[in-house]
Amino acid sequence: MAKRVQDMRPARTKDAVAWLKENVAEQKKRYAAIVKEMDELAPEREKWVAEFLQIIQTYGFSVTGDVRRVIKPHEVPKKPKGLKHHQVIF
Amino acid sequence: MARPHIEPYVELDYPYKKFDLAGFKGSHYKVMSLDPDSGACTLKVRFDGGYKRKPGLSYSDVEIFVLNGTMKVGKETWVEGHYAFIPAGMATGAISVDQGAEVLLMFNDGEPTFAESGSNHQLALTEAYASLNSYEDRPWGPGNLVSPSVASGCMIKVLHYDPLTEALSFLYCMTPRFKQDNISYHDSAEEAYHIWGTSWMMQFGELPTGGYFWRPPYINHGSFRCKYGTIAFGRTDSVLFNYFHFNPWTNPDENKRRAAAAFYRRRPQLYNWVASDGHNHPHGPPDFEHPNYHDDPQVRLTHGKKVGKR
Repeated sequence: MAKRVQDMRPARTKDAVAWLKENVAEQKKRYAAIVKEMDELAPEREKWVAEFLQIIQTYGFSVTGDVRRVIKPHEVPKKPKGLKHHQVIF
Repeated sequence: MARPHIEPYVELDYPYKKFDLAGFKGSHYKVMSLDPDSGACTLKVRFDGGYKRKPGLSYSDVEIFVLNGTMKVGKETWVEGHYAFIPAGMATGAISVDQGAEVLLMFNDGEPTFAESGSNHQLALTEAYASLNSYEDRPWGPGNLVSPSVASGCMIKVLHYDPLTEALSFLYCMTPRFKQDNISYHDSAEEAYHIWGTSWMMQFGELPTGGYFWRPPYINHGSFRCKYGTIAFGRTDSVLFNYFHFNPWTNPDENKRRAAAAFYRRRPQLYNWVASDGHNHPHGPPDFEHPNYHDDPQVRLTHGKKVGKR
């Protein structure tokens, strides 16, 4: 096995452990705030999705680069039945 | 555990914190994203005027992008737009910042570490070192560097390329009135910071100047709009492949299965070999060109494996 510098690093210092703990805790709060903010955007997102589904049937879907394909009505995806929450943060 | 999905995060709305770890005293930081286990992180750091640091090294690969200000690093002078990739164990010269500077600072394999040293660690892969001014030393190239491709109007400057994982660090820009009418996802995690400008994605709304995201693999993003233009710094942790589609409601698991189906169709022999009994090496098959690639920290991290002794 080849040795790497990363495997030679000294044990975490007490300061580094505390730094990590503090910032992981803050990141959890930040993540929760983002989830809330994105959930609150749901009504507006529904309009954007409707507009997107309209655009791909008229102006077209971007296949690659500037190549577009107009999506036929029967190809347009339907919102899954029973989907109450359109999750965008995972 | 890897870094969580942080998107969008507009760091300008939040204050700096005092950076009290060895090697960083006299600076301030904000965490943009952080791996809770490995400590790998992306930080925005403000070096206050008068900041000085002796020559030294980190036990992690480090990337740095200068957002504003001027820093003297050894014999080099780094100004806004400067980018450097510093391999783990490579000693950089003394740092001094006369008037203050703000940077993006990325530790790819662990939490921020600094050890005073005037010489490189004996195992440092110093040939990977890169240092350039991204604004001056690289041309804009079309986004069709990656195919299927983004639409015209999204351009890219590649700043660093990892030959093992194909991880990229790059600048990208979107011209005014840029638009792309598809939904995208990738096999890689993707990260970006808006240096200037606002763009829009159907899932997350507007990402303004100072906006940041760390997006794990297979998460839908797009369609895309940019009204007045944007310039941003971005990275992936492995190869950037654009999977485009038009179903707004798919989840990462469905997207991953679709990617695997594409692999099945496009590389049938390889798919069958990988999937067949007895060849499904969880540690990765042998590679005659890179016999020790299993040990590469970046490769291990993207497979959720431990890096370092801890």
